[in-house]
Amino acid sequence: MADTLTIRTAGIVTVQDLGRVGRSRYGLPANGAADQHSARVANVLCGNDERAPLLEITALDFACVPSSDILIAVTGAPADVTVEGGVRPQWEPVPVRAGETVKVSGIRQGLRVYLAVLGSFEADRLQGSCAPDTILGFGPALSTGDELVLRTACPPLDHPFSRIPLFRLKAPVPPFPTSWTIDVTDGPDRAEFGDTGRRLFDAPFTVTPRSNHIGLRLQGEVPRRVTKGEVLSRGVPIGAVEVPAGDELLVLHRGRGVTAGYPVLAVVTATGLSALGQVRPGQTISFRHRTLDQAVAAHRAQRNAIDALRSRVRTAFDALRIRAPAGT
Amino acid sequence: MSHVNGLPKKSPDMNGNVTITDCGDSALVAKAVGLDAEAAWRLVHALADALDAVRLTGGHDVVPTYDALLVEFDCTSTDHATVRSVLAHEAARLGPHPEPITPPRHFVVPVVYGGEYGPDLPEVAAQLGLSEGEVVELHSGSDLTVRCLGAPAGAPMTDGPPFPKPVPRLASPRTRVDPGSVAAAGRQAVICPMPSPGGWPLLGRTPVRILDLHSDPITAYQPGDTFRFRPITPQQWDEYADLSLADLVDSAGLANSADLVDHHG
Repeated sequence: MADTLTIRTAGIVTVQDLGRVGRSRYGLPANGAADQHSARVANVLCGNDERAPLLEITALDFACVPSSDILIAVTGAPADVTVEGGVRPQWEPVPVRAGETVKVSGIRQGLRVYLAVLGSFEADRLQGSCAPDTILGFGPALSTGDELVLRTACPPLDHPFSRIPLFRLKAPVPPFPTSWTIDVTDGPDRAEFGDTGRRLFDAPFTVTPRSNHIGLRLQGEVPRRVTKGEVLSRGVPIGAVEVPAGDELLVLHRGRGVTAGYPVLAVVTATGLSALGQVRPGQTISFRHRTLDQAVAAHRAQRNAIDALRSRVRTAFDALRIRAPAGT
Repeated sequence: MSHVNGLPKKSPDMNGNVTITDCGDSALVAKAVGLDAEAAWRLVHALADALDAVRLTGGHDVVPTYDALLVEFDCTSTDHATVRSVLAHEAARLGPHPEPITPPRHFVVPVVYGGEYGPDLPEVAAQLGLSEGEVVELHSGSDLTVRCLGAPAGAPMTDGPPFPKPVPRLASPRTRVDPGSVAAAGRQAVICPMPSPGGWPLLGRTPVRILDLHSDPITAYQPGDTFRFRPITPQQWDEYADLSLADLVDSAGLANSADLVDHHG
């Protein structure tokens, strides 16, 4: 019988990957992990392909039990991570013995925690990705009692006489502040907002509870469109900052519909989108203007740090004779 | 991939029939300019096909719509200048009048208009200064060309019916629109494939299934295909309820596809 990971406390948890690429022309949004950086790092810490299926745990407590020895990594928002009651670090690989309970509780400062398993697990796919699409009804949230089929068993690693962490891999941990700074570049339709466009940077905005992976709705002093006229539906990027009717700012995230008819004031940067995937309703956001070059440089630095981590993981795994899994 | 002709990085750039504008750190927008609606639409879709065909390193997604093309990419494995120059090169190669690649298909779509099926029909009729019957006649009286697959979930977005003026969006969007709802706004029309929020006025609803999650792509239609809406009564709903849009390709329309190409040319 295949080895499994059984969900003991579901909370709000889905099987995720980095999203559905190349399907936007058929109207399907990318979706995928809201905090792409944390999701990537979790998989890399397990020696996985960064696109491998992993768990996205949102806000509520979670617990699971493997039927065989496994290696996991927990990244994303700060939380209390325990294995059979013993505290374990986030942002490092963690060995778990068969039958031991892994708990993630008290998620704070951010919204989403990522849990990857060495070798990953089987996942249903739609158009090449296991990422849930809530509009299509694909990829429902997991329930207590659900079993994920593990692809690889990991040899036991825990030192018999010591509980010290086995790994010190120095993964790139992003900040989790109580008040967030989110980087944006100018949108293609900035001119349509005239002088009111700068209101985006004048004062913070508050994230409302009507926010999710499709988009975040923010309250504050919103810019106003100064032009009139009908906008034909066209493709809008992930991260588009729009001002629909009403007193809210709408920031599109990874589940956004691929077309819209509102002018795009600004676009959240790639690194800003990962941060935005962690902002909790009620928290405040200050937007910071970046040039395109600054935004690209920040994204490249973040990805270079992951590449460097990948090679440290490989070295550590080689030394411990852990076989890195193949494929996604 | 090398820079094709060393274009400057400032935006927007004018390249023949498109302007290319930065759209954040991971996207560009190419917009057709100086062309009529039909030619602009044809150009942005041909440009999307061309970009897919060159398999741009780091290229993620293309979203061609009515007169614009969004190109999304991974800026850690390519850059704006490279994508920009490929777009400019392909636009120049295609010229202002690229040929269509696939012959269009024709779908006949049954719709129950008004009442609970199309709750905004009275309001739309009032705004247009028409009777409800006249709105239905105009909506179902001509072939509407699918211009793109958009939100939500690959919805077929078509030209609007020949209404006397644009249809305003709802002041307050609905939190849930039923699947199969047929809507119009501005100079556009759409069928909503899945339950989702929506701000377009609803004229009616089709009983047929729009998407098939088990086929690839999940849509039977593609840009260039045409829809003809056909009014049915609420009593006829069940006759169509087990059908999907793929079952409703009109073979007579296929026989006439040459005429359709001529018409669009």
